[in-house]
Amino acid sequence: MLPPRRALNWFWVVEKMAESLGKLHNRILSDARLKAAGIVEQAEEKSKQILEESRAQAQRDANDILSRASLEAESIRRSILSSRVRANRLRILEEKNRIVQSVLKSVEQRLSDIARTDQFESTLKRLVLEAVEAVGTDNAVVKVGFRNAERKSLQSLGQTFPKGIKFLADETAIDDLGGVIASDPDGKMSFNNSFKARIERLDNQLLTTISSTIFQTGDDASGQHHSRKRRVAQPPLLCWKRTYDSPHDD
Amino acid sequence: MSGIEAVRRIVETEAQAKQIVEDAKSKAEEILARASQEAQNVRHSSTAEAEQRKAQMLRESREKAEADARSSDVETDALLETYKKLFEDRKDVAAKKGVELVLGG
Repeated sequence: MLPPRRALNWFWVVEKMAESLGKLHNRILSDARLKAAGIVEQAEEKSKQILEESRAQAQRDANDILSRASLEAESIRRSILSSRVRANRLRILEEKNRIVQSVLKSVEQRLSDIARTDQFESTLKRLVLEAVEAVGTDNAVVKVGFRNAERKSLQSLGQTFPKGIKFLADETAIDDLGGVIASDPDGKMSFNNSFKARIERLDNQLLTTISSTIFQTGDDASGQHHSRKRRVAQPPLLCWKRTYDSPHDD
Repeated sequence: MSGIEAVRRIVETEAQAKQIVEDAKSKAEEILARASQEAQNVRHSSTAEAEQRKAQMLRESREKAEADARSSDVETDALLETYKKLFEDRKDVAAKKGVELVLGG
């Protein structure tokens, strides 16, 4: 057994040790809790960051998808619309072309039948004089030929021209539609004044006249005063170049 | 309290503290895993919504274009009809002008 004083010291030491041990116990747990709280807090912060980044990325992805969708939608729209609009534009052009060609055929028909009209004599004279003037000689050889024109009557008309002109009446229509071809006596120079040749020379003007008359595009029928702007404003016609088939072929 | 008892108690406390930290780590892992899952869900959901919107945009665009194309067809049909009438009304005048041009040109 300890003496009283030493016993007192011993209890004091033990009490202090117990107290220190309690403090140490609390301190260890407190540190651990603090560390645990830090770990959780850090995880929550990280979690918050992950979600924010994810939302931002999701927004960017969505914007990207919608942006590409917008381009794709426009492309689809253009593809559907442009092909249909192109097809319709083609239908319009084909119809206009068909109409103009039909009128042109009618013009050719009327010209080839001119011998049956009262315009024939004056027309023949004008064609002959123009051709002779173009050849530039008083001794021109003029060959004429029209559908439905009798050779005899052509010959008699030939007598009304100046004497130097040699008048040859053909049984068949020149260049299918009829007309006149003048040449010098040697045949070195000639001028084709057939209807077909005249149509070829007037091709653009003729088509413009027909088109503007039918569709009322405002083009001057003479075709002499078309401004570039007005020409551009008129829709183009497909295949306007004629193949010049005879109107009697069909 | 004996020294052994004190050491035993400290060891227990350390173990307890370690457990607290381990629990916190587990909880942190859970939080992060949950966040990761939630982030994935957010992105999936956003992408799915955008894809849905995209499909709708394409459908609407196609429908609108087809409607416009039908309008173009109707307008073209009307225009062709007008051309036919114009042709019937003016073909003789046009042919006459053409003949006059060829004869007098």
